[in-house]
Amino acid sequence: MYCGFSEEYMKSSGNTEEQEPRHGELPFSFTPQCVHLHRDHELFEDGDIHRHMYLQDLYTSEVDDKPTLSVSEFACHISGCSAVFSALEEYEHHYNSLHRHVCCSCRRSLPSARLLDIHIQEWHDSLFTILAQRQDMYQCLVEGCGQKFRTSKHRKDHLIRIHKYPPDFRFDKTKKDKGIRETKRLQQKDTNMEVVDDVCESEGVCEVMCGVLSDQPEQGESMETHVSEEEAACMAKPAATEEHAGLSAAVHGNECSSTETLKPRYSYRVPSTVCFGHGSIRGFRGRRGRRK
Amino acid sequence: MWRLNKVRHKAGRQGDSLEELRLKRREHEKALRQARRDRQLVSKRLLLTEDEEQSEVTMDTTSGEQDVVSLFHKLQHSGPEREAHLKALSKALRDPSAQLTFIKQENSMHLLVGLLTGSDAQCRLQAVQCLHKLSHSPHTNVAPACLPATPYLLTYLSGQSTKFTELCLYTLGNLCPDSDAVKEKLLAQGIIPALASCIENQRYNLAVVEAVGFTLSQLLQAKDAAEKIIPMVLASSLPSSLLSVLTPDPKFGLAPAIECAWCLHYLACSEYSRELLAHGALLQCSSLLLSLGGAVAEGNREEGLELLVCPLLRCVGNLLSICPVDSLSSQVGDVRLVVSLCALLQTYIHTQPALARETAWVLNNLTAHSSAVCSALLTLSLVPGLIQLLPFSQGINTMVLRVLANIAHKKKEFCVQLARLGLLSTLCATLKMADQEMVTLSLEVLFVLLVSRPQVADEFVRQGGVSLLEAIQYNSEGEMRQRAAYLLEHHLLSYPSDCTVKTFIRIVLFVKFVPIQNSGVTNLICFVAG
Repeated sequence: MYCGFSEEYMKSSGNTEEQEPRHGELPFSFTPQCVHLHRDHELFEDGDIHRHMYLQDLYTSEVDDKPTLSVSEFACHISGCSAVFSALEEYEHHYNSLHRHVCCSCRRSLPSARLLDIHIQEWHDSLFTILAQRQDMYQCLVEGCGQKFRTSKHRKDHLIRIHKYPPDFRFDKTKKDKGIRETKRLQQKDTNMEVVDDVCESEGVCEVMCGVLSDQPEQGESMETHVSEEEAACMAKPAATEEHAGLSAAVHGNECSSTETLKPRYSYRVPSTVCFGHGSIRGFRGRRGRRK
Repeated sequence: MWRLNKVRHKAGRQGDSLEELRLKRREHEKALRQARRDRQLVSKRLLLTEDEEQSEVTMDTTSGEQDVVSLFHKLQHSGPEREAHLKALSKALRDPSAQLTFIKQENSMHLLVGLLTGSDAQCRLQAVQCLHKLSHSPHTNVAPACLPATPYLLTYLSGQSTKFTELCLYTLGNLCPDSDAVKEKLLAQGIIPALASCIENQRYNLAVVEAVGFTLSQLLQAKDAAEKIIPMVLASSLPSSLLSVLTPDPKFGLAPAIECAWCLHYLACSEYSRELLAHGALLQCSSLLLSLGGAVAEGNREEGLELLVCPLLRCVGNLLSICPVDSLSSQVGDVRLVVSLCALLQTYIHTQPALARETAWVLNNLTAHSSAVCSALLTLSLVPGLIQLLPFSQGINTMVLRVLANIAHKKKEFCVQLARLGLLSTLCATLKMADQEMVTLSLEVLFVLLVSRPQVADEFVRQGGVSLLEAIQYNSEGEMRQRAAYLLEHHLLSYPSDCTVKTFIRIVLFVKFVPIQNSGVTNLICFVAG
């Protein structure tokens, strides 16, 4: 059990040669160790230069104009998102805006948990489609209103008339609208993670698309097939990147079991079908720099 | 000897503005960096008399060359004007092309050596001045031409005349790096024993000590120094002599200590550095660092102090890495060395970040295998200062985080203290950094903290750590994903996230198993989803 293991782990380690075999299955490998630097090591460069400047009578105690100290940048962790920030608040804002409420099925990012819920329900839930044929299922998007409508058109009219929403409200797209954009997306190379103009304009800043799943069928397919295709496409990537522990195992665990207890759920809005392939979430156009 | 407060710009002439001087310095620095990358970093020193310093080298090249030729001819005749001619020659030989002209004259070196070893003491002094100028030549073929003089220069090292000895030493030091042939000859002629006895006999003559240090450092920087030179030096009395003059003399200044410290650094980098340990080098350098750091902490900003601190740090750092763990406490001595090191860190972080990074490296080597040192960092309230350094990049934060990781790995009690001092909340920030090494290292530290006490895990969750780790699960780097996933699954499992229910539902909908047909189940889902 890991508790006992870590007791050993904590023991003040003697020589680095006598390593306890503690890294059996743990993905952690840090051990305190001395670092020996040879004469020509790059860490010694500045000091050596300073020394030789002194030898050559070029020493000056005045601090040179250029400020050489720099502060670490922050970077978005989401694979494929290359956004970099100089301040923590920028990072937080970026993350909360673009990655927090993401639908895994179609990669759309919604600005709030509620809108994400509604999106998933209306777009990816076949049960919803069935029920909607008989009852009013389309919720009003305004929190607290509580009204429900038979079709999305009815809801839209309600939003415009009662709540004075614009007719082109970005978070009330119908599924049919999305089709056009998807074909456009298919035509682009997606590896570079640059946000395309039409995404920004038509969908607004918070709804970004991923190219990988653009050929995902929406209607007429059972959930089973849909998921398995997705799974196949997405799982191929992480598996290829030598990952055995952790993530893919957990996901596969989630995927295949009906009898196993489900693995822990996370507050992150992405459902258990983790599918961040190579070309997943995009960031803004115009971000400075990439991750190292 | 060199006075540090003199800012002499080699390339600068009167009339250069401050900006131009700065530009030249920067260019020069760039050239040095490139030379270092090519393993060709070499410097020479020119020792000038006071009146030589005053006068400018104003003559143009051609007249200089002509002077050299005519002076050479004049010198072939003995007489009372010889000394004056030599003095004039010495002045003329400051010019590089004149240097070339001189050595091309037939028997010019023979003449100079004759005067160097002659019966006239003043001529000897002037002759060595000429040789010194020649040794400073940027042309590499000048040094071999000076070889006939070297056995005499070495012999004169055991003499008593300070100025003369200094000039011999700097001349030899300048000649060393120019060619392998010159080095071989000097080694064969016994330069190392000569330096050893010189510094021993003249240990109170700090100008000579500085010169010996310089010359030795030139030898030790040779590319193949490890083969022959370093073993010979370690076998001699030089290490103990160098150590004995390390403490700077307040009146004379830092210069001799600086040279000796750099020699020790070159020795400590080598594979034979254990011999230095045997001489007590680690103890000596540590205590000196302790007092220097203390002085800096009290506000001492003596010019050039970093020129001494730098090689001392390196000695301590590298000697620590080869020091057996059980003799660590006796070799390091006073554990309050950490106070000095932290003071140096804070002082240099803005003015000389590279030196701050080297200081952090030493702290890493100190804390790696010593609980006592780690405990001292905590009890002496030095940890908050370290935590505050974690935003700074260029390798500083990774090294400081290693130090904190070393502390955390010693005892659970240390982990709890670290958490209480704010390390957890700082990790929440470092986990978002662009530097992958920082993130991975942060996860390592987090692991150790989380297993120490349940309260630490509680605190981490309270600070929003769970969603942070979740985000890392989507990172493209497997190293980070694995660690984050592990922490979530094994140590934060019991913490409910805020939307378990909804996510559960989504899983029920999306997971591929039996399609939902049972109306009871359907109703349940409708209820929850609605």
